[in-house]
Amino acid sequence: MRQRSAAAATGFSEKELRRLIRKRVPRDRVPLRINVKDTSDFSRVDYDDVVVLAGVPYLVRNNEREGRFGIEDEPKFWVKRAINLLTGEVRILKWVFRELFNARIGSLVFECVRSPQKEARILELVRGRADFMQGETVSDSSGSPLRILDYIRGRTLSEITLSFGSSHEEFFSARYPALLSEFIQAVEAIRFLHENGEKHGDIRRDHLIKDDLTGQYRWIDFDYNYRHSVSRFGYDLFGLGNVLLFITGRGDVTTQRLLHDAPDALARLSEDDVNIVFKNRVANLAKVYPYIPEALNRVLMHFSQGATVYYETTEELLDDLGEVRGRLNA
Amino acid sequence: MSAETNDRMKDKHVLIAVDESENAKRAMLYVADFLGGFPGFRATLLSVIPEPEADFFENEEARKAWTREQLDSANRMLENYRQVLIQSGFPPEKVRSRSCVGDAKSLSEIILEVQCEMSCCTVVVGRGHKTKSEEFILGSLSSQLVHQAKNCAVWVVE
Repeated sequence: MRQRSAAAATGFSEKELRRLIRKRVPRDRVPLRINVKDTSDFSRVDYDDVVVLAGVPYLVRNNEREGRFGIEDEPKFWVKRAINLLTGEVRILKWVFRELFNARIGSLVFECVRSPQKEARILELVRGRADFMQGETVSDSSGSPLRILDYIRGRTLSEITLSFGSSHEEFFSARYPALLSEFIQAVEAIRFLHENGEKHGDIRRDHLIKDDLTGQYRWIDFDYNYRHSVSRFGYDLFGLGNVLLFITGRGDVTTQRLLHDAPDALARLSEDDVNIVFKNRVANLAKVYPYIPEALNRVLMHFSQGATVYYETTEELLDDLGEVRGRLNA
Repeated sequence: MSAETNDRMKDKHVLIAVDESENAKRAMLYVADFLGGFPGFRATLLSVIPEPEADFFENEEARKAWTREQLDSANRMLENYRQVLIQSGFPPEKVRSRSCVGDAKSLSEIILEVQCEMSCCTVVVGRGHKTKSEEFILGSLSSQLVHQAKNCAVWVVE
């Protein structure tokens, strides 16, 4: 009886919801009981529950996960995949909250915030752009903001890069030029943010997803902000550098890996050749893969321990990458 | 032409950009030591409070309170530094101070705007001792000033 009241209070009877669910999932996946949940607390919303947001019923599926560095994926209990029962489209429901914390990058510690208002601002700024995740903000049952985000079907830049080519040389000649062009487009997208005074805040290779529908990379998860010092976009540029090193090396080329696979290449490296922060990652990739052109390696070396000048704007990086692309395609 | 205007025209105007760091204090002390007591110089102490980005505050009131607190603290520091310059021999009327709150512009742009507005011939800053990774990610004010300054000298005090 109570279930029926809960369902009715949302504007949908249990019978209607069951009918809608049957249209969207296989018969054997239709829940035995229709649980319409209050949306004010994400921890009480589980798989197979129904939530109603802005008058639209959603069938909740799994929590989203975030994983990298080979560590088992971490479930994000506040981010749930769901099916819009009216249209059948998959959406991401994200309960937003503000969180201050210190981020540690190597030995550097700086203040960061997970900011709902930043994410809302950027969603507004990038509305309609194919190179960013899209979404809207609605209110949960307690009046707090809750994000409904488009679900992007596709693989991350990380997954795609690692899937290319049998050898690095084959990858570099056959796949890299196109991959670099796509990366340049992704940097253009970040330039758009920077020109509008916004940082991405968490630039990582798994925050770029190639949309199966459009074939274009889209940036996701831009709700972080970091307390910048003199360089407003320094941390974003550092992130872009790490992604560039990753795609150029077809993965992180680490000193540990070289010790095992290519001790000769490791012996050629000096202190200046490693990543400016992550000292076990190689930045001077031409010493490992000699066919990497000098112009490209010069760009990579801006992110090395031996760098004496750094990129301060995406424009500077794009200028150099444009030149490299021209030479690779010549 | 009044004597004061005449003085002002002839004076070399030095802008000292400071914050609460030891590096900035060293820069101010260098100017005091180097120019204090010599005629023909005036100095302005400038402190720019870092931009209080709204994302870091619970609400607008908290942001305003933080800004007020930072400005109060900067103004106290500026007054102390002003007294040091006066004691080193700068005439009191030739030492001024100014504090402001940063915005979306870079710190170096703000400093150079003040330099231009006040027709300062020299900008003085302390050199921070950052590691390479800190300089990359956090940035370097002295590097930015050296690269961006036009029509003025930049003293970077070690």
